Amino acid sequence: MKKIDRRHFICSSAALLASNAVPADAFWPFGDEEKNLAGPDDIRGTIFKGDAPEKLWKWSHEGFLYEKLPKKKVRCGICPNRCLLSPGDRSICRSKVNMDGVLYSLAYGNPCSVHVDPVEKKPLFHFKPRTRAFSIAAAGCNFRCLNCQNWEISQVKPHEVRHYELFPEDVVREAEQSKSLSIAYTYSEAITYFEYMIDTARIARERGISNLLISNGYINREPLLELCRVLDAANVNLKAYSDAIYRKLNGGRLQPVLNTFKTLHEQGVHFEMTNLVVPGYVDDDDLVKRMCGWILDALGPDYPLHFLRFFPKYKLDRLPPTPISTMKRFRDLAMREGIRYVYLGNVPGQDGVNTYCHNCKNLLIERQGYLIPTYNLEGKHCRFCNTVIPGRWETGDSVQEKT
Amino acid sequence: MKKDEKAIIRVVIATGISSVVTQLLTIREFLSQFQGNEFVIALLLFNWLVLGGIGTFFARLVSKYLLKASVAALAWLSLLLASFSPLQIFAVRVLRDQFFIHGSSVGFYPTLFYTLLTIAPYALLLGFVLPYSLFVLRVERPDYSGARIYMADNIGDVLGGALFSFLFVYFLTPMQAVFGASLLLLVCTFFLFQSDNRFSPLQLISVSAVFAVLCLGVFLEMSSLTPAEGKLVYYKESRYGRITIHQDHEQMTLFASGAPMFSNQNISMAEETVHYPLSQLNTVRNILLISAEGGMMEEIALYGAETIDYVELDPEMTSVQFQFGLLKKIPGLHVLNQDGRAYLAKTDKMYDAILISLPEPDTFQVNRFFTSRFFELARARLAPEGVLSFSMEGFDNYLAEPQRRKLSSIYNTAEEYFKHILLLPGQRVFYLCSNEPLRSDIPGLLAEKGIQTEYISGYFYGNLTRDRIEYVTGLIDRTISKNHDYAPLLMRIMFSQWFAKFSTSPTSFFAVLGVLWFVYFLRITREEFVLFSTGFMTMGSEILVIFAFQIFFGYIYFQIGLIITVFLAGLLPGAWAGDRYRVRGKSLLAWTDLILLVLLGLLACGLWAGGDRLPVVFYLTFGFAVSLACGFQFPVALYLRGGDNPAATRAFSADLIGAAFGTLVTSVVLIPYLGIFMTIFCLGLLKLTSVLVVVKS
Repeated sequence: MKKIDRRHFICSSAALLASNAVPADAFWPFGDEEKNLAGPDDIRGTIFKGDAPEKLWKWSHEGFLYEKLPKKKVRCGICPNRCLLSPGDRSICRSKVNMDGVLYSLAYGNPCSVHVDPVEKKPLFHFKPRTRAFSIAAAGCNFRCLNCQNWEISQVKPHEVRHYELFPEDVVREAEQSKSLSIAYTYSEAITYFEYMIDTARIARERGISNLLISNGYINREPLLELCRVLDAANVNLKAYSDAIYRKLNGGRLQPVLNTFKTLHEQGVHFEMTNLVVPGYVDDDDLVKRMCGWILDALGPDYPLHFLRFFPKYKLDRLPPTPISTMKRFRDLAMREGIRYVYLGNVPGQDGVNTYCHNCKNLLIERQGYLIPTYNLEGKHCRFCNTVIPGRWETGDSVQEKT
Repeated sequence: MKKDEKAIIRVVIATGISSVVTQLLTIREFLSQFQGNEFVIALLLFNWLVLGGIGTFFARLVSKYLLKASVAALAWLSLLLASFSPLQIFAVRVLRDQFFIHGSSVGFYPTLFYTLLTIAPYALLLGFVLPYSLFVLRVERPDYSGARIYMADNIGDVLGGALFSFLFVYFLTPMQAVFGASLLLLVCTFFLFQSDNRFSPLQLISVSAVFAVLCLGVFLEMSSLTPAEGKLVYYKESRYGRITIHQDHEQMTLFASGAPMFSNQNISMAEETVHYPLSQLNTVRNILLISAEGGMMEEIALYGAETIDYVELDPEMTSVQFQFGLLKKIPGLHVLNQDGRAYLAKTDKMYDAILISLPEPDTFQVNRFFTSRFFELARARLAPEGVLSFSMEGFDNYLAEPQRRKLSSIYNTAEEYFKHILLLPGQRVFYLCSNEPLRSDIPGLLAEKGIQTEYISGYFYGNLTRDRIEYVTGLIDRTISKNHDYAPLLMRIMFSQWFAKFSTSPTSFFAVLGVLWFVYFLRITREEFVLFSTGFMTMGSEILVIFAFQIFFGYIYFQIGLIITVFLAGLLPGAWAGDRYRVRGKSLLAWTDLILLVLLGLLACGLWAGGDRLPVVFYLTFGFAVSLACGFQFPVALYLRGGDNPAATRAFSADLIGAAFGTLVTSVVLIPYLGIFMTIFCLGLLKLTSVLVVVKS
């Protein structure tokens, strides 16, 4: 074996000492950023080949918007997935099937979840405060969010859940009986039971009950325009201002969601935005700045933005919750950028849940959870400076009296 | 004994030590990286043993056609094995985020394939090396007994198990433990090269390179644990798993075995856990906490209790919680580091409230806290108006079927001992159990006591509306069976829930496994079937005994470690005796099979009569006796098969594959689906078949 001379020994020793002086992290090839970029890039769903039931059930309804193609294929037109289904196939959202060349929804009149919630829970802070929303959901979703809080109903087929029988007329009647001023299409993904939602919403509109869409906003323009005709308010989740994160964590794309916001804005529908701050993915100042920039450019400063605190959930259960200071920082950042009404969700006991006039900065609505001990709006005006506060406050005090 | 022979035996023993330490560390690493339920543990052990069996099976073919048996080749293989240990641990730790989305949990099939991928190089090589060592020895002495290699391996296994369980786990991090265990193998390999008198610069460089790999493992350990979010401010490998604290700005989050448990900023969970039960009581004097949530102590302090006994199994866990302010020290607080159920069984103290904050019952260890006997025990330690409280994973708007069955089983089990059970579907589904009426208007109760809360006072009426409380209570299915110690129904339901979460089913896996087993079964000899069934029964019995022991005595780390050790320790004297009396052949196999049957019968009788009244030494003696019989059979079966190289590889394989099936089937099928006594019956039936096979031949 070759002997080592003195020069080699000194050089080697120096290298060894230098390596000890440098932190071990410097040698570690897997950095933090790589961790979040690694793994599958796209978790978007696929259609379920040959998974349609043998025959339709009672809660089936022909699809609202679809294209008939040769060989009895159909293409669903409700959401940007635009599922191309051969006879016997089931859509990505699991609730549409091609039965011999006709597209059917299997989620019509069979909600699996029915509750009465405070409207603030949706969250909608600028829409008829202190009122209740009769909330329904049928099974299915066009996304695959890893952190879904309703995965038991969103990631299953309509046949796999217990359900009630409430056809559109029944829903409106139940809403009236529960003294709810609104019907919220929520929990799972309302777009996947579009036919059920729009038929119910039309009846509700006739009876003076408001319609609320709580959604991921992954819908095509044509059905959305139809829905806007009967829609009173919406809360749309802007999961991240990043197409890569949409594909990686949610199984969707960003642009169609942005288009939804623009359409709602054009159509004059009041909406609020939610953004779940997922640590390691969405908790990036630059990302938030860019998101705010787009909101201001495309929609203006008046639509409320809710930052929601992340908690480990469903499959994304190995991350810590979002630090409260990050939530506060994002709220400050978004307000500095120019968005007038920015709120914090899933953070009890924080100031970020109250509404302050964007003009005079006085406290307009104090919220303690779902309770509102202080209410300083007169109609839609600030009681202190008479500024018009964006939102749907038209029922004002009368709503409070009713509830 | 010749110089070569000594060196080879030393390598075999060192390989045994290194492999057991690596295996235990790999299991812990998997539990930290993946869901730590019984299914994952069983799957990992199964893969490990099966891959080992495959490696063993191919040893003869490879040594015949590709790599002739020689001391030098064995030394090179051992060197490779020593370097694989740290690489395997790193692979499990690092590749996870390359294959899966960071922060997400992983379902059954991805876990299965990831396990196979990451442990295959090491486990295959490990399985290969053992019979290969025998072939090398037989180059010089063709009549060298296979049983002696088996015994040397067992010595290594026992030493490795004991070294890890009673020494390394207390003082060393995983990479330090790997370093310690593999260094011994490296040194033995070094001497093996030397014994071959062909020591070359290449060998010296290679040994140095492996040494560098081991050092590098220790050097890079902390970097490999650094979280992507925030920074790692605390890291400790306790006896029970990995504890880390991640700091992200001002938030401290406690992770136990890779899963976030709680943070110092989750006030809502702390409020729910404390106020739902304590608000029910007129006076609160004595409180028992079995484990705890972050922030609970401040809420408990509002009630001014005289004593708060906080029982936590892991002393490292309590220490770190107080150190990082996740729990505050309040007047009257006593920390007791022991098993919660064992504590309840022996204390005479009466409590006004028992608050349990444990994870979901997806392991044998946690299932014990939601059984009929446990609820009986809890009632006996509660004051007449006292409240027992615990919670299960929550749901937002729909109660899915597996969870409904889980909640129903617990409800039906608790109802036997408590007149009133109130379900509150908060962030988790809370059970309040008492023999006095309970009220669901928690904000009202708190207002009467003048207690202010941040979460409950504002959010309760929106999140826990009357219709939601009625919804969950109305969905309780009274026909669902109760959860018993001996028949852990909850674990079965938890498995279903886990599979439902990933929209998958283990049916295909078990179908493929069944076909493979059938093919294997058709190809093995009678003697191999005896070894297969004994391997199956030994591992099955070990899992059974650990399960039963925990039920009655709690999870006592030292004694569980002893049980695992005695299940290995008996193999050595058994093999020695078997080697000595092997000429008596088949009758010995039949008799030892009968002894195993009798032992199973004794275990069943002992447990039936009352497992809690049995002394610890009963379980230890049973384990030793089973492993003694198992060890005894190996040389006898080998002798009956002729003892040549093909027979040796097939015998080693049969033992390993039997152990693999025993681990998997007992953990995830027999105990959860059939209960303890039917499991014993099934193991006995398998052994009876083995007796018949031997007698018939």
